[in-house]
Formats: sequence, C-alpha cells, structure tokens
Amino acid sequence: MAAKKQVPIIEGLFTWPSDKPQLIASRCKKCATVTFPKAAFCANPDCEKVRDNVEEVKLSNKGKLWTWTVQIYEPPAPFKREPYEPYGIAMVDTEEGLRVLGILTGTDNLKLGMTVELTTGKLYEDDENEYITWMWKPAG
Amino acid sequence: MKKFRDVAVVGVGLHPWGVFADKSMPEMAVEAITEALADAKMGWREIESMVSGGYLWVSQREGMFGILSGTAISAAMGGIGIPITSCANACATGGAIFREAYLAVASGLYDTAIAVAADKSAGGFFRPQSEDSQFDLDYIRYVMTGETNPAYWAMECQRRMNDIGTTEDDLAMVKVVTSKIAPANPKTRYKKAFTKEQVLNSPMVCDPLHLLEICATSDGAGAVIVCSADKAKQYTDKPVMIDAAVIGSPTFGDHTIPLTYLSTYPRPGVGILTESRNSIAAAYKMSGKKPEDIDLIELPDNSSWHYFAYLDCILQAKDGEAEKLLRSGKVDPVTGDLPVCPSGGLGSCGEAVVAQGLFQIYELVKQLRGEAGERQVKTNPKTALAQTYGYAGNNAACILSKAW
Repeated sequence: MAAKKQVPIIEGLFTWPSDKPQLIASRCKKCATVTFPKAAFCANPDCEKVRDNVEEVKLSNKGKLWTWTVQIYEPPAPFKREPYEPYGIAMVDTEEGLRVLGILTGTDNLKLGMTVELTTGKLYEDDENEYITWMWKPAG
Repeated sequence: MKKFRDVAVVGVGLHPWGVFADKSMPEMAVEAITEALADAKMGWREIESMVSGGYLWVSQREGMFGILSGTAISAAMGGIGIPITSCANACATGGAIFREAYLAVASGLYDTAIAVAADKSAGGFFRPQSEDSQFDLDYIRYVMTGETNPAYWAMECQRRMNDIGTTEDDLAMVKVVTSKIAPANPKTRYKKAFTKEQVLNSPMVCDPLHLLEICATSDGAGAVIVCSADKAKQYTDKPVMIDAAVIGSPTFGDHTIPLTYLSTYPRPGVGILTESRNSIAAAYKMSGKKPEDIDLIELPDNSSWHYFAYLDCILQAKDGEAEKLLRSGKVDPVTGDLPVCPSGGLGSCGEAVVAQGLFQIYELVKQLRGEAGERQVKTNPKTALAQTYGYAGNNAACILSKAW
C-alpha cells in the first residue's frame, strides 16, 4: 500500500513538501523585525507601516530551547492528536531572534538552551492523508 | 496626568462563583446588580451610566448576547435609557470596566456609574472561537501547537524555576496558603483548605503544574457602583476612594509569547509581562502611592506561577522576592503583615473570566470597610490593590483606599 500523502493542517506556515522544512515568516527590510506567521506590516511601533517594507523569509531550521512543558490531558476540539498521547510544547529561539511555539517530537533529556531542529510530525490522518504540523526535534 | 474629580465605590455585589447551567448571564448580572444597589442603598433609576463586560466564549453559549452584554443586562433589569458600553478585555475585563465607570464619573459627565459583568466560563480548557485558518491566530496557534492555557503557564513556570530557583514545594505552598481562608468566603466556589501533600499528589496537568496549582473556570457575576466623592456620603458611611483604576497593554519586544500568539520578537531589556508591569506602573503613578503603601493585595493566581510572577510585579520587586515573601509568612492571608488574596484567590473561586476583576474589587471593598466577616484581615488595611491578567496581552489594576 502506498504511503499516505502528508498534508499541512494549515497551509502556508512552513515550507512543504520539503526534506528540510522551514517556518515562513516576514521580515522588515528597514529594521529587521521578524514576525511569525508572516504579517502585512512591521510590528515595530517606530517603523513605518508600508506593506512593501515587509518581505517573506524562511527561518533557520535550528533554534535553542527557551522553555517547555508537557500537555498531559487531551485538549478539546478543534485540536486533534489521534491516537491521543501527551506531548511536549516548547518556546524556541531561532537564529533570527524570534521566539516561536511548537510541539516537541520528544521530551526525554531536555535541557533549556539545547539545540532543537525544525521537523514535521503527524497529528491525525484520514483515508487519504496524514495531517502534519511543524515540530521541534531535540538535536543535543 | 491631569487629575479629575475624586470618585468613590459606594456599592458592591456578587453572584456567587460556581456552576449555574440553568441561569443566563443576564440573570446572574441582575442578581449582582441587585446586591450592589442594596449595598449602596440606591435605586436602579439613580444609575446614570453603565459599562458591561463582554463575554468571550460566544460560539459556545449565548452567542451575540454574550458580547453585546450591556443592553442584554439592561433589558433584564428594565431599560432606563442610560448610556451603556460593552467592553471585552479578556480576563482583565472586570478591571477595565471598573476604569470606564470611574472615568465616566471622574470626568464630571455623570455622578453615578455601574460596572457589571457576568460570565459562564465553567468547563475546562479555553478554545478558539472560529475556524478561520487565514486570520484567527488563536485558531492557528491552537490546532498547530496544541497550546492550552496551563501549558503556557507551565512553560513560564519552568523558566522561572530555572532562572530563580522556585521549588515544587513553593508552588504547592501557594495553594496551601491561599486556600486556608477559602472556607470563610461564602461567595467562592471551592470552600476547602488543602495540605501540601494533597496539592503535590493531585494529577499533573502540565509539568510542573499540578491540578491543584491551576485555577478552574467558573460561572459568576459582579457589580460595582461608583459615585462622585462629594455625593458618596449620601449612600454610605464608608466610601472607598478610587486612587487608581488603570489598564495596561504590551510593549513591543516583550519576552513572552502571550496566549493567542505564535511568536514574539524579544528586545533587550524589555522583559516579560509588559502589559502587567505597564499597568502597575500606571496605577502607582496615578495614585501617587508606592508599593510600600499597599496593605492588602488581590492578585491573579491563575496558577502558582502567576502568584509569584504577580507578587514580584505588584511590589516592583526583583524576580524571586515573591518566593521569599511566601516562605517568610509575610503574605499569609490570615497571619501575614501584607495579606495576599484574603478572598482565597482565583485558586479557590475558579475564574469567571470577565467578572473576575469585580470579584477582586468586591473583596478589597469588604476588607477596607471591615465587613469581610470570618475572613476579615487583622491588619486594619487602609490601602489595597487588585490586579488581573488576561488573554492576548490584557491587564488591569486598581488601588483603593479608606476615605473615612
């Protein structure tokens, strides 16, 4: 049986399909402020609000673990993780200076400050597709 | 800052906190208003202006009436033609509408105003209110990262433990200390004191936070009536002066990712919880008071992490002072010199989101008047402070004092 197609739960947040997925953010050409998901205007209050000042950028796929926890109870819909099992959630600092949320692929031997790498993982599937999101993978 | 005329609280009322599936939010609000009017010995037709808390979970119950709550509540009371605003500032709504009521009277436009909010949030984790995967960041965040409110709090808590050395015992002791007074509060939901062992043996929700270190969600309603200080004596012998009623919003570059957002762009020196520190700074500036002038505090102990983070914030102390204050007993609501959460706190009542700020103001007023019954603090407080913290970077704070 052929492998199911992997489809992002919401399109446009990370590069896909890709062997090395990256988060799709925006950066201000004037002041370098980075925003995820990408925004129409620079978020810096002192920067002008001109759409053309903001460009799409792909974030580095490595970051440092700022903090994390484990979600033990199953959150109510519309979040879906099937079959349900507890999962780690982290805030990660990317090389661009952005702090970003994401699910962790695992929670063994984590240390604040350690390197994590962007990957993807399945949350649920149907007959045709597996539905994926971005995840942070501890890289030691 | 230009000083307007002085304004006092003359009446407070609360519908009890709990689960009230058979009552609508306007019904609960009517009960709270009725109690506040009786407290102020005032008739409904004496209210000149009203502001109401806008409920957040409108896709789950009561729909549009939840957010357009002001006219729905006025219809339940019987309309008297006064100006009404509905205002939604998440968990800081109670404090935000208190500020609006204050401003309505302080400006001189009206002599009396009421802040009222009803909320039915009982029933577990908060969730997004749309399935708009293009523009609803709350929806995008929730389905892609599975971040619940306790998960966010737990991440901040992990970081605090790492940076400051907060221990699991400290986290458990927050619940022990705040719940010891809860059996004496008839308005609260969980009238029970807990031991450290019970807290540490309760199920883990999000590491390191146990079930008993996280506040539940509740139904509840509150009403606060304010009046110009020169007329307050017509209504009460014990007018409680509003020294400050403020709200705060985040500063660009905040180091935390507020709930509903997916990222932040931390800037050097900005720190976390800027909406809260901005709000506290504004409260001290407006009142001319300092942290050492505060005799009693109601803070937003949504979790044990919040208790410490907000005690530091309110006292404008170095991070980590809060743990020392708790260990020393200074902030014990029964025996401490600086009672914190003499109501039993959010941990004991569960959060009725948009009404929560009014629950806190009710407690400050009762304590300042010496009318808190069995839970009356022994320290004869003259100046008291309340702060609430909300979803998506909202905050409110107020400072109240004895005016007699």
